[in-house]
Amino acid sequence: MPVHSAGARLYKSVKFRHLVKKSGSAAGSRASNVSLNLTPFVDMMTVLVTFLLMVFSSTGQLLEAQKGLDLPLAKSRETLQQAPVIIVTKSEITYQGQLVATVESVLRDDSPTFKIDALFERLDAASKKIKEDIAMGRQPKDLIKACEEAKSNIRPAPGKICPDGLAILQADESTDARLINKIVNTAKAAGFDNLLFAVKNK
Amino acid sequence: MGASVGTGDKKSVNVELNIVPFIDMMSCLTAFLLITAVWVNIAQINIQPKGKTRDQAQVQQDDEHVTLSVLVQSDRIWVGLSRVNEFQDIPKKGEEQDWDKLETTLKEHKASAFFADRSDLEIAAESTTAAPVKYQDIIYAMDVAVKVGFVDVGLSDPQGLAARPSL
Repeated sequence: MPVHSAGARLYKSVKFRHLVKKSGSAAGSRASNVSLNLTPFVDMMTVLVTFLLMVFSSTGQLLEAQKGLDLPLAKSRETLQQAPVIIVTKSEITYQGQLVATVESVLRDDSPTFKIDALFERLDAASKKIKEDIAMGRQPKDLIKACEEAKSNIRPAPGKICPDGLAILQADESTDARLINKIVNTAKAAGFDNLLFAVKNK
Repeated sequence: MGASVGTGDKKSVNVELNIVPFIDMMSCLTAFLLITAVWVNIAQINIQPKGKTRDQAQVQQDDEHVTLSVLVQSDRIWVGLSRVNEFQDIPKKGEEQDWDKLETTLKEHKASAFFADRSDLEIAAESTTAAPVKYQDIIYAMDVAVKVGFVDVGLSDPQGLAARPSL
């Protein structure tokens, strides 16, 4: 391997010299000042920051994507809010991340009660706890105010629905309607009479 | 942000802005926004389930109250009025349900005297093993209803519909 004389190098074989502008006080054959053109970089950063600021959501991610869960599409654009989440994937039903039943077993069950017992128990307990929290004032003030307004049939502001009886259903688009009916009946029986169906915006 | 005017020459008017802090800030902001970005835009459709609750054995139906009911089946959609017992059949158009026809029908009802100042409607889906109805179809039906102005959508059992066609 040939031995090169020491000097400005970009990696091993590319000489640095051709990047050097011969200008001002740095003029001369051995000048090592490099003026990089930062304009495209700054342009790109500005565009990127603008785009990211536009898609920025202050509420964060309330719902997470899951394997086997493709949300249905809809044009409605109401804001989501925090509430207990029932997830129905292609194979299983979970409540707050805990497995409740499999889709197959629920569809096979033709009991006359027409509700999912395991889900009912969890929802019933959650409903009682939410009611207690509201009574004790352990919920945010704006939501407690929304509960009082709901009694007077005042329509709540988007994202400020009274948490009493509020749950989110996040179901796969291909879920059988029988299963949805069963879940809605179960939720209704447990006191969740206000369901939010999570959808993907078109 | 620092700025040095000229290069020592009295007549020079070149200005060199120190953009390093700007680039630093942009880099930090880009990293923060990329980490906290929410790529999937999830919204909601708000519904009120109809039927039995824990506290009440049965929802009382007012006989004088006319209810607009939509029944989604695998091959058609029925739109009916309770008390009047008037039904409109909207058959499937090809592989898809005829959502445009449903929208037109609901618009007509919304413009009628019964529903001009009302926004309630009930939807049910009748699904069987042989003729399944998908959740996406229920959502489409609700979406159309909300679009037309029936924002108080209730989801009901097919048997619990106020206006149910006799099949």
